[in-house]
Amino acid sequence: MKKQVTLGEQLRQRGISRRTFLKLCAVATSAMALPPAMIPRVAAALDKAVRPSVIWLSFQECTGCTESLTRSHAPTLESLIFDSISLDYHHTLQAASGTAAEAARDKAIKDFYGKYLLIVDGSIPTKDDGVYSTIAGRTNIDMLKEAADGAVAVVAVGTCASFGGIPYANPNPTGAVPVSELVTDKPIINVSGCPPIPVVITGVLAHYLTFGEIPALDSFGRPLAFFGESIHDRCYRRPFYDQGKFAKSFDDEGARSGWCLFELGCKGPTTHNACATKKWNGGVSFPIESGHPCIGCSEPNFWDGGGFYKALSTTTRPLANWTGAAVVTGAAVGAAAGVAAKRKRSAAKRAHHTVTADELKKKEEA
Amino acid sequence: MTSLENGINAFVEQIDTPIASFFNSCVHCGMCADACLFYTETGDPKYTPIHKLEPMRRVWKRNFTFWGKLAAMLGLSKPVTDAELEEWEPLIYDSCTLCGRCSMVCPVGNDITYMIRKAREGMVAAGHAPDGLKGATVRAVEIGSPMGVTWKTVQAQIKHAEQDTGLTIPVDVENAEYMVLMSSMEVVNFPEYMGAIARIFDQAGVSWTLCSDAIEATNSGIQIGSSDIAAQLVQRIVDGAEKLKVKTVISPECGHAYTAIRWEGANLIGRPYSFKVLHILEVLDELREQGRLQTEGMETAKLTFHDPCQLVRRGGVVEEPRRLLNMVASNFVEMPDAGVWNWCCGGGGGVSANERADELRLKVFSRKKAQLDAVGVETLVTACSNCRIMLEDGAEANNMDLQIVGMAETIAAHLPTKTSTTATEESSS
Repeated sequence: MKKQVTLGEQLRQRGISRRTFLKLCAVATSAMALPPAMIPRVAAALDKAVRPSVIWLSFQECTGCTESLTRSHAPTLESLIFDSISLDYHHTLQAASGTAAEAARDKAIKDFYGKYLLIVDGSIPTKDDGVYSTIAGRTNIDMLKEAADGAVAVVAVGTCASFGGIPYANPNPTGAVPVSELVTDKPIINVSGCPPIPVVITGVLAHYLTFGEIPALDSFGRPLAFFGESIHDRCYRRPFYDQGKFAKSFDDEGARSGWCLFELGCKGPTTHNACATKKWNGGVSFPIESGHPCIGCSEPNFWDGGGFYKALSTTTRPLANWTGAAVVTGAAVGAAAGVAAKRKRSAAKRAHHTVTADELKKKEEA
Repeated sequence: MTSLENGINAFVEQIDTPIASFFNSCVHCGMCADACLFYTETGDPKYTPIHKLEPMRRVWKRNFTFWGKLAAMLGLSKPVTDAELEEWEPLIYDSCTLCGRCSMVCPVGNDITYMIRKAREGMVAAGHAPDGLKGATVRAVEIGSPMGVTWKTVQAQIKHAEQDTGLTIPVDVENAEYMVLMSSMEVVNFPEYMGAIARIFDQAGVSWTLCSDAIEATNSGIQIGSSDIAAQLVQRIVDGAEKLKVKTVISPECGHAYTAIRWEGANLIGRPYSFKVLHILEVLDELREQGRLQTEGMETAKLTFHDPCQLVRRGGVVEEPRRLLNMVASNFVEMPDAGVWNWCCGGGGGVSANERADELRLKVFSRKKAQLDAVGVETLVTACSNCRIMLEDGAEANNMDLQIVGMAETIAAHLPTKTSTTATEESSS
């Protein structure tokens, strides 16, 4: 086993100056929503961090999560950290193939048992004993269980690994399940999103390297630092929502003026992610900024949410037209019913039988 | 002739907006049952107030609701039959005194008492009114009083009262401030009322009169539920009062007479009165407030006041009798549930005129007895002759040692004596 090289040594070997390193630490610190006072601590921790062994398992997935990470621009912190961890197994990125690849994984599990981080992307098919996805003749279930046994923690990257994602969507033909349904005895961090934001993935890893523990999580097991707020609450189009200015179609005046996409089905109000603040493609933009509603990809069951272009709830504005018509119809029906009832009573009044003492007497005598 | 057809027609006629919305609003909670003494004292669910309206509810449903009309059209619902009205007759007449307690508890605000009053219109038009009430009504229309009291009888009472008090009872005096009405019960059973009024008014110095054309305040038309007859009876009073050009007509110590002349009357005749209507308690309290009603001495016996339902619940006369009693009684105690929640004596709303209901009304008197037992008084004051008769019947049936008196005579008993007033005047002059 080679000598453990620290992250700091590694970076210096690669010609990264102390100044650049600190800048990167500042970015990482702010990405993790930690106060600026924490930058020296992050830097110290990252400098001394021993390259941890990481095993990355890909199951029922589209490789989009890996793509998201690799397409990010260098030299960002994410690519550096990935250079600086010992990524001992990643079947898309590794050079080895076949028996050699499998041997690398077995070795990492054995050498770093109880210390390595396990990253999983993709859901795990469970139907028919898991035959719908196998690697080297082994089912995903089998492989996940073996790798999870020796892991210090599991990071479920992407919505498929976190919540089942697209394979899990109705009718879920492969019986796909998220990692959390199979691994119950290890800490799991769900980094959801389809795909997740690169800096979110690396931010979680940086947190782990810095503090040696998993970050604070929300009720869905997602790091609060990135998933604590909704897209809607941090959206730059939010003022239009507050003013009731909505785009009604993708080519109307409202859309061109950059108004709120709520009525076009934006799931921003119910979606928790960092898109509106961290953005994509090196901070260029995020979907809403490109004129498309949020589809809510980082939430459980987003695929079965009832249509990407269907508004979350009907606003009062289109309802106002309906209400007007309904009020008029209701009033007309009510008035008609009232007239009918009144006519009936008037008829009854005309047919009124006057009760007289005489007839009470007759009846009494009868 | 009265018939089922006329009865159903009368129900339809009576289902106005309030009644339709009441039927529509009923949530079947059953709270009205516990407010009704006929239910609490018998435990029989058929006495649940809203259930007494079942035939009328069915007529409403068939004629005024979408589903009811549809069911009727498709022959899925049966129309109300004569046999059903006959079955409901005792529920509507014998086991309801129109006391108004159920209307007070209804969580959706249904005025159930008003509904039963209206339902009686259909019952009487269908010929399903109790014989006792029919007889009383016929006498009221033909003789002028449900008890068959004629002006001749009243004249005899006037004579007695004049002898007792040494005062002149004014009759047919025009432009008097007050026109005093009486109930037959007061003429026949409680003649002390006339004398008490004469003495109080004499002391207070108010101008008043009786009207030979309109002495009777009670209204059997209201009790049997015939607006036609009720209007006829109210019209007599209105004609008498307008002929004499009086300012105020005083309803006597009677509950339903007050409701009839004060609340229903103008609606029945379809125009406003040219005079005011007050209950005798309201008049006495006004005089007290103006300082024209002076009393001396105090009743020391423990006494309580029975609130006539029509006064407290339908009329809002609650504080007046208490202020008056506090003038003349040093040991006035309240029964539990006194005031607007007071329990009915069991004889109101025409029940006491209906012999068939005798057994039931004496049975449900147990509620009033329990109220009275809780305070243990020697004297019971009330302000309704009908309540008074019922209370006397109930006290007798239950061997209760209780003196039952009217409010006016209680006050009159404490007026400063005429002689002492005269003596004072003489000595001062």
